[in-house]
Amino acid sequence: MNIDLKKLTIATAAAHLKAGDFTAVELTQAYLDLVAAKNREVNAYLEVFTDAITQARAADAVIKDGRQGPLTGIPCAIKDNILIQGRLASAASRMLQNYRAAYDATVIAKLKEAGVVFLGRTNMDEFAMGGSTENSAFGLTKNPHDLSRVAGGSSGGSAAAVAMDGALFALGTDTGGSIRQPASFCGVVGLKPTYGAVSRYGAIAMGSSLDQIGPLAKTVADAELVFKAIRGRDAFDSTTIDENTYNEPYAEHRTSKTAGRKPRVIGVPRHFLKDGVDAAVLGSFEAALASFERKGYEIQEIALPNISAALMVYYIIMPAEVSSNMARYDGVKYGLHIDGKDGIDDYFETRGAGFGREVIRRILLGTYVLSSGYYDAYYNRANAVRKMITDEFHKAFESVDVIATPTAPGPAFKIGEKTTDPVAMYLEDIFTVTANITGMPAISLPCGTVVREGAGLPIGLQLTAGHGHEQRLFDIGRDFLNEE
Amino acid sequence: MITVKDIEHLATLSRVKLTDEDKESLAMEFDAILGYIDRLKKLEVKIDAEGRVGAVKNAMRPDEAAPRSPAERERLLAAAPDREGDYIAVKKIIAQD
Repeated sequence: MNIDLKKLTIATAAAHLKAGDFTAVELTQAYLDLVAAKNREVNAYLEVFTDAITQARAADAVIKDGRQGPLTGIPCAIKDNILIQGRLASAASRMLQNYRAAYDATVIAKLKEAGVVFLGRTNMDEFAMGGSTENSAFGLTKNPHDLSRVAGGSSGGSAAAVAMDGALFALGTDTGGSIRQPASFCGVVGLKPTYGAVSRYGAIAMGSSLDQIGPLAKTVADAELVFKAIRGRDAFDSTTIDENTYNEPYAEHRTSKTAGRKPRVIGVPRHFLKDGVDAAVLGSFEAALASFERKGYEIQEIALPNISAALMVYYIIMPAEVSSNMARYDGVKYGLHIDGKDGIDDYFETRGAGFGREVIRRILLGTYVLSSGYYDAYYNRANAVRKMITDEFHKAFESVDVIATPTAPGPAFKIGEKTTDPVAMYLEDIFTVTANITGMPAISLPCGTVVREGAGLPIGLQLTAGHGHEQRLFDIGRDFLNEE
Repeated sequence: MITVKDIEHLATLSRVKLTDEDKESLAMEFDAILGYIDRLKKLEVKIDAEGRVGAVKNAMRPDEAAPRSPAERERLLAAAPDREGDYIAVKKIIAQD
């Protein structure tokens, strides 16, 4: 059977594998061929694993025995900051260029158990810091829809790998939008789960109160399958929650008007969409709301009075956590070591040579906001505002099921367009950081395209739900995309 | 206004070696970034937050060494840039005059 990678989803591929229409080896070879043809240009993958076919053979044996699950033999791509034992995990940094993982991340152990095929590791902004994958120490990733534009970031390689049909799904990490914004730029589905829903054990840490691992896939159903395979409480990550941590009757906090009915009220913070949003993005957003109304949803305007402060809060808390997390790269335990004249000089030399510009900028910024004398004005204040914003979201979810915004203020921008202006790059995260600040789950869904210079550029719609309510995002997302 | 001297101080605290060129541009970028996040100071806030996200709570475990296999220990040691036997080697930190 001829394998049409463009049309394939995890669900259909699993059905074909089960029916014997093709084997996992044939499927994997089809992906390897496509990646060999396209990756030189796109640079989604930093490395393609030479043992992918061996992994596929093992999956075929499981399928032959009829012991397969929904992910057996499914080829996937893994962001380069998630550890797979024995393989390089560089976080796209010179600091970890030759670092081999000593153990499996929990999500990787779960995916191995599920029988997936790891095709390779994907490019990213160094240590997941950036919104364009231009901060990779190993070359940027180009957008498969227009090679003159960025793929978004920091999980740009994962989004581009799925978008170019170079994997059926990919894992990314999301600290301020790093799954959802590249998903939006590349026209795929991207989920940032509830904080704690997925174990962070074995994910190279950036901002520990914000980081989450999540899936990028072609359909909502596929993203849901992957999420359900990787979530769960984990003894190695004490912040993990289980399915019932936030369990509450669907409509417990809802008004009597909508209680007990299927999710149908979509909240829109219109006051937040006034400035700095591309006209095409606003147009696609309004069209999405109209489509929801036609499907019987109610659109309700909501107020989130302090939401515009979320990005400022983020750019205080995130660098503070970055500066702490990056302290471990000392040239002693693992990673790069550059010899200095004495022990402390080893640190200066190693860290100066190993870290790229954006990483250093954030380490210094974090050190600044945590300095004695500034701590109250920045870090404490940011934490207080974080709580205020979270409370505002809780209040909004008393009357709506999900909150809709665009995922990013614009479509994919040109390579180099924002590299000299850090604040402009940071503003890319304006709609996505709130889900990390509040710990709530959010999904980016493909929401039409805009033609720029002859290329059709995807636009994303973001839905946010209350803690633990990923299922609402999946149900409404499937409905929106008219998935079976 | 952030000066090159401020950047040098932060770089010392952060144990990062910078070039003169980097110091200059970082000082300028800091002014832009701080100009943005300083707007937070205008917001009226009561600072008593616990800094907690969702239902996440401290999870304790007994203070006991977890058994690790020799193979796992070897993998971790093998990652060190310099080692002597089962120790990670570093430079002397106490100088003799």
